[in-house]
Amino acid sequence: MFKEILRTEWNWSRYAVVVTVIAAFALPLVAIQPTGMASQSLYDTTAIMNLMSRYSPWFGGLAMLLGLVFATTTWGADHRGHHVYALTLPIPRSQYVIMRYGAGLLLLCAPLAAMWFGCLVASAAAQIPTGLQAYPYALSLRFALATVLAFSVFFAISAGTTRTAAYVLTALLVVGLGQVGINVFGLDRDVLGWILDRLVVWPGPLEIFTGDWKLIDV
Amino acid sequence: MFEQLDSRSPTPLYDQIAARIRVAVAAGDLTEGDALPSVRRLAGQLRVNPATVVQAYRSLETDGFVEMKQGAGTFINSVADDRRDAERESAARHLVQQMLVEAKRLGLSRDTIVGAVKREIGEA
Amino acid sequence: MDHAIQTNALRYRASKEFEIRDLALKVPVGSVYGFLGPNGSGKTTTIRLLLGQLRPAAGSISVLGYDVPDQTTQMLAHTGYVPERPHLYPSLTVGEAMQLHAAFFKSWDWSRAEELVTQFGLRRDQRIGRLSKGETGKAMMMLALAQAPSLLILDEPTDGLDPVARRDVLSALVEYVSGGDAAVFISSHLVHELERVCDWVGVLDKGQLISELPMETFKNGLKRLRVGSAPAHLDDPPFAVLAREGDGVSAHELWLVRGWQDPMHQYLASIGADLREVIDLDLEEGFVELLRTARTA
Repeated sequence: MFKEILRTEWNWSRYAVVVTVIAAFALPLVAIQPTGMASQSLYDTTAIMNLMSRYSPWFGGLAMLLGLVFATTTWGADHRGHHVYALTLPIPRSQYVIMRYGAGLLLLCAPLAAMWFGCLVASAAAQIPTGLQAYPYALSLRFALATVLAFSVFFAISAGTTRTAAYVLTALLVVGLGQVGINVFGLDRDVLGWILDRLVVWPGPLEIFTGDWKLIDV
Repeated sequence: MFEQLDSRSPTPLYDQIAARIRVAVAAGDLTEGDALPSVRRLAGQLRVNPATVVQAYRSLETDGFVEMKQGAGTFINSVADDRRDAERESAARHLVQQMLVEAKRLGLSRDTIVGAVKREIGEA
Repeated sequence: MDHAIQTNALRYRASKEFEIRDLALKVPVGSVYGFLGPNGSGKTTTIRLLLGQLRPAAGSISVLGYDVPDQTTQMLAHTGYVPERPHLYPSLTVGEAMQLHAAFFKSWDWSRAEELVTQFGLRRDQRIGRLSKGETGKAMMMLALAQAPSLLILDEPTDGLDPVARRDVLSALVEYVSGGDAAVFISSHLVHELERVCDWVGVLDKGQLISELPMETFKNGLKRLRVGSAPAHLDDPPFAVLAREGDGVSAHELWLVRGWQDPMHQYLASIGADLREVIDLDLEEGFVELLRTARTA
């Protein structure tokens, strides 16, 4: 049964897998691209650190994107058919959901491996001055965790009915708009900021996405 | 042979099916030893409930036209000539009955009908 | 197991205006049961209740001896389902859909599946999303039949199909039924093709089961009489007169009667009426008349 679920996941995610593998492999290489032999001025610690910081948000963004894309390809076909087919299969709903989750994670291994591989290649190719070090394993591990977290969240939202997914996303939108509204009325309350703080500062669950993603660091 | 079975007709479907087989036997189209299609195949072909086909075959068996052999199928029995004649007569009378019902519906008298029959078959 | 499907005092509120109440269905094992009703009468909702997709407000449901919705998973293993709207994953090919289905249903029969694919003129490499309406209907029926289920639940299986596809689907269905004791529950508003295939009929109107009878009883129960010189009032007729109307052309009347038997023509003669014709109602007319009388009652 799992084999067939995996097969359908592959059928739906093929293109996403190919595109994200390329993107995940390329990102670390793109990030270190300006370093190297050509310009002597770039053989400079501060310059490299700034470069890393510049590309940092892209890693977090890509992790989130991967999670979203794979959650969508996992559930897209079921949503379009209103889950009718899955609901008439003779297995408990929970078992079906778990198998889908497992299949999604398995396919995610491809871009995650590509990121790891990209980081290794980038670390080897970059000219790193003394005092700085490359952290390919740390970076790709963090990327993997962030991706799995994003996938899990979006998967959970999508696993429910289309209506539930709409409710959750609307709630997020309302909170966002609410904050804007609050600011517009001049009330000095940073609700969104407070919520984000709770989520994003350790021990908040989304802490992994913040801060600097640096391949090369002190 | 089984075209245009009429689900609206007062005659139940199994009867219509059996009647057509009887007529085919009377006309010599089906002879002793010929196999009738399996219940499954005929039901699928006619798109009728298989129980209807079974009922048709059983009624033919009761009348002695066929023999249902377990596992082998349903086969036409040998039918004596006078039996065949009786079937033909029965089919003819059934045809006349239908005509008379229709005539009554149209309000035609018996003489009118008899006259029309004679004219049509060339005896005035 | 007494019945393939049995419900008791089933109640479900689908919306503010519409409620299924007191539904007591009994589908005998091995029967082909036609579930008739006008659009909006609750047929699809009933089917979703039977499949455990909706939870009833009151009453009990037993399908193949299993309690629904508590034992839905076990029940679904032996139930083939063809819904009204296509539910298969459109990006899979016919062959891939077969593999997926086979992985979940232990009773899957590959040789039967191959036969049906050939019989229906499908190809395994066709993408489900690209199939025509008729081909999709046939694909869904093929999957349901190849499962070798003990119960088939079909929701408008031939609606919207061209005549050829319709014949193919019904043929395959009837052939499957010939093979054993599978029960079939077909909901439809296309009455004509059901009357040859079904041996039981249940009529649903506005969420209530207004009739549940063997097919022959249902059809024979109602007749139309063409009567001339009919008196205005009938003394104690041996049959029930449900309606009387002029035939619009002549002086004859058309009576809708229940419980007619041939010897009763003597009664009509005795009251001076002229019985011109006894018209059998086909299933569709019987169904329409039943609804009409049920609604005016």
